[in-house]
Amino acid sequence: MRIPILKLHDCLLVSIQWELDDHTALQFQEDLLKKIHNTSANGVVIDLTSIDFIDSFIAKVLGDVIEMSHLMGAKVVITGIQPAVAITLTELGIGLNNVLTALDLEKGLEKLHQELGE
Amino acid sequence: MTLNYIQNNKDNIFKEWLDRLKEDSDETITNVILDQNFETYGRELVELAILKISGKQDEYERQSENFSDRMVNLGWPLRFVVNALDIFGDVVFDEMVKDKYIRQENELKVMHDLNHWLKAMNSEIINDYTDSWERTIANQKIALQELSAPLIPVFEGITVMPLIGMIDTERAKQIMENLLQGVVKHRSEVVLIDITGVPVVDTMVAHHIIQAADAVHLVGAKCMLVGIRSEIAQTIVSLGIDLNRIITKNTMKSGVEAALEMTKRKIVPLEG
Repeated sequence: MRIPILKLHDCLLVSIQWELDDHTALQFQEDLLKKIHNTSANGVVIDLTSIDFIDSFIAKVLGDVIEMSHLMGAKVVITGIQPAVAITLTELGIGLNNVLTALDLEKGLEKLHQELGE
Repeated sequence: MTLNYIQNNKDNIFKEWLDRLKEDSDETITNVILDQNFETYGRELVELAILKISGKQDEYERQSENFSDRMVNLGWPLRFVVNALDIFGDVVFDEMVKDKYIRQENELKVMHDLNHWLKAMNSEIINDYTDSWERTIANQKIALQELSAPLIPVFEGITVMPLIGMIDTERAKQIMENLLQGVVKHRSEVVLIDITGVPVVDTMVAHHIIQAADAVHLVGAKCMLVGIRSEIAQTIVSLGIDLNRIITKNTMKSGVEAALEMTKRKIVPLEG
């Protein structure tokens, strides 16, 4: 199953609704980059509200996607990481330090617009 | 037989027992005995013994639990109660010998019966005591947990977590959980961790704080460390701990000001 990527003005919205397996994650990486290329979007919001568990591979893919998007000129904000997920990630040593984060979609979009200087 | 004897000579035994208790008591125990209620309770203990000996198990159990609860509340030391029971046994035996109730032929049997009752009573009282201690400890543990990591929303989007006392791994875990859940629940943008009351910040504590800050960043808020005293600043630097990723302020006041600034607000004095 592919993850839907929605376009909103110059931003892309991605809401991940179920646990990612390795294949879906890689597929998502490809899809997102293609979409950024096609729409020349400036920003991406990835919402993880409904994700209760992230393993190190998915975390790495997410980190990669963020860096790749960056290279293509799109800023990425991750939103809605659950407390339990945050604890697992820090325990795995994945701080996502250079990544923008926000509490929810609303604040994520706000932050993105701020970053893009609008 | 023995029961009849004890019941008939209750007052006598009680008096003798009280005298002996006073004889070989130290200060804490004397304080207990000097308590004006002691006589009432002492009598109750004797009645309890009689109840036990007479074999009214149900009633005994009910009263004994009630009794030992009160003992614990009064702060009677366990060793005193156990000792008192011991002496009670001795007194009964001595009185029996004195009154020629015990003769050669029944000595063994009376001894055996007496011992049997006393032992059972001893262990029951000890059980009750430990039960009530365990209850107390469990309650205190819960209270301690509740107090260990409180989270206080002070302004919209700004939350404070004051930490007091040593931080160990267990507590660090709790701090992290409370912190993250609180941030999500209160929709905070900035969280201030106040470590004014933390006596020592070593590498482990710093590690936990850095982890908490990272996790807070992941859920989409900012973490600020306030209340860093001079000696803590010194230890942090001399231990080579890198806190660059966390915003640090020396007092809660400057922390709150900075947090307000981050959320595009400020405190202004009223005009006029």
